[in-house]
Amino acid sequence: MTAPAIRISGLRKNFGASEIIRGVDLDIQRGERHAIIGPNGAGKSTLFHLISARLPVSAGTIELKGENVIGLKPFEINRKGLSRSFQITNIFHNLSVFENLRCAVLWSLGYRYSFWHRLAGLTDARLRADAVMEDIGLAKRRDTPAGILSYAEQRALEIGITIASGADVILLDEPTAGMSRSETDDAVALIRRVTEGKTLVMVEHDMGVVFGLADRISVLVYGQIIATDAPAAIRCNAAVQEAYLGTGSHSGHEP
Amino acid sequence: MNSHVPQAVFRRGRLLLWGACLALAVALPLVFKSGFMLSLLCQIGIMVVFALSYNMLLGQTGLLSFGHAVYFGMGAFISMHTLNMIGKDGGPLVVALLPLVGGLAGLLAGVVLGWVTTKKAGTTFAMISLGIGELVAACALMFPGLFGGEGGVSGNRVVGKGSLLGFTWGPQVEMYGLIVAWAFVATVAMFALTQTPLGRMANAVRDNPERAEFVGYDTQRVRYLMLILSGLFAGVAGGLTALNYEIVTAETLNAHTSGVVLLMTFVGGIGFFYGPIIGAILVTVMQIVIGGMTQAWLLYFGLFFLFMVLMAPGGIASVIAMQRNLWQAGLFRRMVPHYLAVALPILVLLAGLVGLIEMTYALLAGEGVGAGDTATKVMGMQLQLSSMEPWAIALATTAVGVALTRWIGGRTSAAWNETLATLHGDRT
Repeated sequence: MTAPAIRISGLRKNFGASEIIRGVDLDIQRGERHAIIGPNGAGKSTLFHLISARLPVSAGTIELKGENVIGLKPFEINRKGLSRSFQITNIFHNLSVFENLRCAVLWSLGYRYSFWHRLAGLTDARLRADAVMEDIGLAKRRDTPAGILSYAEQRALEIGITIASGADVILLDEPTAGMSRSETDDAVALIRRVTEGKTLVMVEHDMGVVFGLADRISVLVYGQIIATDAPAAIRCNAAVQEAYLGTGSHSGHEP
Repeated sequence: MNSHVPQAVFRRGRLLLWGACLALAVALPLVFKSGFMLSLLCQIGIMVVFALSYNMLLGQTGLLSFGHAVYFGMGAFISMHTLNMIGKDGGPLVVALLPLVGGLAGLLAGVVLGWVTTKKAGTTFAMISLGIGELVAACALMFPGLFGGEGGVSGNRVVGKGSLLGFTWGPQVEMYGLIVAWAFVATVAMFALTQTPLGRMANAVRDNPERAEFVGYDTQRVRYLMLILSGLFAGVAGGLTALNYEIVTAETLNAHTSGVVLLMTFVGGIGFFYGPIIGAILVTVMQIVIGGMTQAWLLYFGLFFLFMVLMAPGGIASVIAMQRNLWQAGLFRRMVPHYLAVALPILVLLAGLVGLIEMTYALLAGEGVGAGDTATKVMGMQLQLSSMEPWAIALATTAVGVALTRWIGGRTSAAWNETLATLHGDRT
């Protein structure tokens, strides 16, 4: 059997005296759609930051496809096929939609720091960026600076940048936060489409999205995972209900 | 897709523009034959390359450097020493290639110093660049053997016998030709760089370094490479300045030179490739033409810079781009009467201000001090600075200018806002 897409063991993170992640163990299989839920302040985003090396870990190990990635820089982890989106939109504001996506594919196509290739001549980069742009429904906005897109469009672009490089492990941090119902539906359809055949890990507050998309769900409460299971089992899990679904302030849409 | 057709047209238009600029640069000395104009044009050519190289950092990578003169100066000094070393063994061809030596010196300085400065971006980069700039400037005075101390290092660009296609580089007009050739090649190369993966990722790093890391790019490496390449072109400009003036002093690599290149790039417009070209031309002309007319030129330049920062922070290039947008939307003609209307009160205001400034300067710094009844020459006029009359006239002119500018300027800005609203309304 191949190594899991992500294997986390004994992961801890403290900021000074306060421990945010308190011993997380989690295996995420390849091709799985995995959602991480939990109340505000449970450490979900911190967990993402640790996996993607935005923050250094305090203790424990993280393996990406069987390879230890502790101590690597964000760009090194990205080059190993892990790509992530951000809770707060993180795009290249002054560049057009097309340029945003082209920037996201350059490294994976092997152009590195080249100053001897003409961008306009890179057909593969153009086709790939155009295809992603079509996928996320922003073809009409091709030459619009990303900074003046609508919020939902920026969120779509954020997902587009994340998947454009063709990474096979995708981390999405609250992809539908702040969206209207219909925008959320579009976003879910988009996520389903573009992560086909890939490993998806997402943090999400909207229970409709979580139960609609995820194969398995992990519940993170105060820096510890209290349950990991299929959606139906999670819904029946007494500990989860007590800790989160029943009393939490973020129960959102229960399906 | 139909997007390829306009692109082809666009590319042809761009070629035409490049050709027209080159033709203009070549034709200018045929029209302006005076030695003064020729040396002005030479200085402009050098500064265009220097400012463009600076904008590779500021505009394209988002790095505010206070020490870019280091690379310019290193290029100049190494070129000058090379020129003196080759001496009689060299010839016009070797001299013509000297700016390349300057470029390599700038590049090497970038490799060494950039490794330290580009570790961090933002304020840290700005501060370290300032520190390194001061360090190198201090070294220049500590090692007179290499930097020539106060007197600088001088040389002669006419070396050996014979000529290269008839050029010996002796006459200033031949030097101008060499500068145009190098400036053109360097400008084309720097523009080409903006159209490469590294050039685009530099923009990405400028906009959002964190995101750039998460699409696989080491932002530190991007900054480092851009600084090295920027050092290369600054060094080419330095090599040209060494050949042009045949003397290089420590001033070429000090903070003043770093400041000037920052100002001209900013005034021209850092958001556009051609912005620094405009800035270099404008500031050099101001420096030499206005500087030749009045001692107060730095004051005027400071006022102008303030005005630009407040009124058009995107620089002159952004103003031009805005007018082009209006033109394309068919709205430019609507604004023309307003531009003309507001120009008059501004001219009145300027006349009054210049009068006040010049008289004050003459009184404080010139023969006017204690001169009592003797007439002083200000702006070509014999004025009695001890009497109230010239002061009253200048003050009144300024006051009228202020009042008129406020009155008509208010209408202009109202018309401007209305036109902008129409422009954006048309778009959506």
